[in-house]
Amino acid sequence: MEKFFNRKVTVTLKYIVVAFTSALLLMLIMSSFAKREYAISGFLTIGLIAIAVTYLTNYSIPMKFFLPGMFFLFAFVVGPILYTVAMSTFHYETGNYISKPDAISRILATGVRPDPNQTTFDIIIGEDSSKNLEILASDPTNKVYFLSTASTKTDLDPATVAVDGNGDATIAPGFHALTPDQQTALDQQIATTRFVYSSAFFITIEGSNVASLKSQTLKYNSSNDTFVNVQTGAVYKDNGVGNYANLTNKTDFLQPGWRAPIWFSNYAKLFTDPQIRKPLIQVFIWTMVFATLTVLTQFALGLLVAMIMNRKLFGRRIYRSIFILPYAMPSIMSILIWGGMFDTEFGAINHLFGSHVPWFQNAFYARAAVIIVNLWLGFPYFYLITSGALQAIPAELSEAAAIDGASNRQIFRKITLPLLLQVVSPLLVASFAFNFNNFNIIYLLTGGGPTNTLGGAVAGSTDILISYTYKIAFGAGTQNLGLASAISVVIFFIIASISLYGIRRSRVLDSFK
Amino acid sequence: MKRWLKEDLWRHAVALVISFFVLFPIYLVFLSALSPTGSLQVTSFIPKSISFRNFHLLFTSPAIPYLDWMKNSIVIAGTIAVLSVVIGAASAFAFSRLRFKGKKQGLQLLLLVQMFPAILSLSAVYVIMERVYSFAPRIGLGTEPGLLLVYLGGAMGVNIWLLKGFVDSIPIELDEAAKVDGASAVQTYWLIFVPLAAPVLAVVSLLSFIGTFNEFILARLFLVDQHSRTIAVGLQGFISGQYATNWGPFAAGSIIASIPLVAIFLSLQRYIISGLTAGSVKG
Repeated sequence: MEKFFNRKVTVTLKYIVVAFTSALLLMLIMSSFAKREYAISGFLTIGLIAIAVTYLTNYSIPMKFFLPGMFFLFAFVVGPILYTVAMSTFHYETGNYISKPDAISRILATGVRPDPNQTTFDIIIGEDSSKNLEILASDPTNKVYFLSTASTKTDLDPATVAVDGNGDATIAPGFHALTPDQQTALDQQIATTRFVYSSAFFITIEGSNVASLKSQTLKYNSSNDTFVNVQTGAVYKDNGVGNYANLTNKTDFLQPGWRAPIWFSNYAKLFTDPQIRKPLIQVFIWTMVFATLTVLTQFALGLLVAMIMNRKLFGRRIYRSIFILPYAMPSIMSILIWGGMFDTEFGAINHLFGSHVPWFQNAFYARAAVIIVNLWLGFPYFYLITSGALQAIPAELSEAAAIDGASNRQIFRKITLPLLLQVVSPLLVASFAFNFNNFNIIYLLTGGGPTNTLGGAVAGSTDILISYTYKIAFGAGTQNLGLASAISVVIFFIIASISLYGIRRSRVLDSFK
Repeated sequence: MKRWLKEDLWRHAVALVISFFVLFPIYLVFLSALSPTGSLQVTSFIPKSISFRNFHLLFTSPAIPYLDWMKNSIVIAGTIAVLSVVIGAASAFAFSRLRFKGKKQGLQLLLLVQMFPAILSLSAVYVIMERVYSFAPRIGLGTEPGLLLVYLGGAMGVNIWLLKGFVDSIPIELDEAAKVDGASAVQTYWLIFVPLAAPVLAVVSLLSFIGTFNEFILARLFLVDQHSRTIAVGLQGFISGQYATNWGPFAAGSIIASIPLVAIFLSLQRYIISGLTAGSVKG
């Protein structure tokens, strides 16, 4: 052991690890900087400097222990939390996903229309002498021939142009046609380039040998940040929440919008927009009911089992092994298995009772199923906890009470239960907080359903806050990351206050002093 | 005899009812896994014939890359179990034994961060990893190393907290003796603390393994390709929405996936339970 920890070996080893990590980080810093991810490259740079200072000097001994853990904690926990808080102040949803400059260029790209005569040209795609993308366009009916690039147009004299059987020009001075392979390589550029035609019109390529005449209908005026539709004369102005809106008709938006800072509007919506408030209140109530019922039923059954087993009983070891089985099994598997058992048509539960209960189609039954399954999953935890706590209660107390003439029920209510609650109440609070956010059981068992999708509802009868938030952020319809983030922050405050209450009671914080 | 009736009979009755409740789903999984039809429908609770068709299907059907899923789960959970404890133990040691400015604030931050459920910052993790993908496609969104990085971050909070609880219970006199003999903090850590805490570290890494094995939502977001999925995501995708058709192989698959975990849990339950009371709630 001491040989292994020989100073020379460890120091060399340390330098190798530090050098390797630094090299890796440096590589990431350079590539992220090249892709303009400045926030990420900034974070990595700080990490790199911290590594150098911490492990190459003796500036701070505790940092030598903290740095790796802190790096991951900040990168993947603290960072995303801050990002979530930031996102909650943005109008950030489907249709408002990109940055404002991107949105402007998208609007410009789509705000075009073909010219009234629907003019098309036969073209050959090629390059001019300085390797710029160029087309050789022909209109054989009108005998019009010209070359055009993104910046210049050169008319060709129809008398001198060499034409093929269709009347299309085949060669022109300085023009080199591209092979199909070369065209494929320039795919993106070919699709987006606008070739010069006249001051009002430009040409875009429609296929490998066809191009059409277009004009810009939406024009951007950067001096006052507005779009004008030259066809209708409508003016679109930045409405402050991430869209260009028609000045005379506020509901007429240009698509797409961008993610715009709207400060506390997402939070305000939670309380003022009835379409959000109503399902949110329903979901919140069910979340509280679900977490409370879960903790109560799990605790009650766990305690019952612990009390039954709290004396010499034939086969106690076997019972004990059976009772902790649900706890030992991977919970995902158990939930999925229960999901199959509750199936209305073929499920084992309806078969066992000879019933035909529509477990997942009816709100009440679906909620009952969720509670039953969660009871199965969680009561062993409380059985283990309470049986430990019961054994810690001195037998003298209940014996003394019995001598004084107390009944079993009185002993339980006046002595056992209060002493027990003193020990397990922080764990009850912790369990409440855990179940408040028990995403897996809802998502895997009912998916939050049954949901009245015909009524356009996103929230289902068994959705708890966290699964509802997940649906808002990643659901099938509109994905609203801004709103979901706002709800997340609210949930965080609820959980934090519940947990702080639990911590106060358990006095964990005392040890900080 | 009368006393036995009064005291024990009802206990056995209740215990048997609860045992039935506990064992019913487990019995059913075995029943389905061993049934020759492989359908969800139960025709009889007593098996009429036994067949290993479902198990056979699991390992031979090209539509079910079961071995890949199992391998992915074990590799991912195993890596996290080792790395998160290696990294977490150092921080826990510092929190427990070293004196420094900002210790209280650090612990409070750790506690606060833990209260922000991982799923809530899911969209942020998604966007960040999407950006990472743009410059480092090997560790970004949709890759196994990317998932490992995110898991490592997530495991930090819980593990440091849990480990600190354990470290606090190791007598400080040993460290002090080492210090008197002239050992530095780093030497104390490697020569005194790590050997002493080895069993505890093993338990925490085991809890970490179970937790990662059970993780579903991040894995589903990250691992899209059929062959790169974990067992949880694979089996879920396999029966989602169509319980009826794939039930038999699913049952067989979940039995095989559960056996190692149940075996570990039952054999080490004494240690794991001491971890439970220290504040972890298994998911």
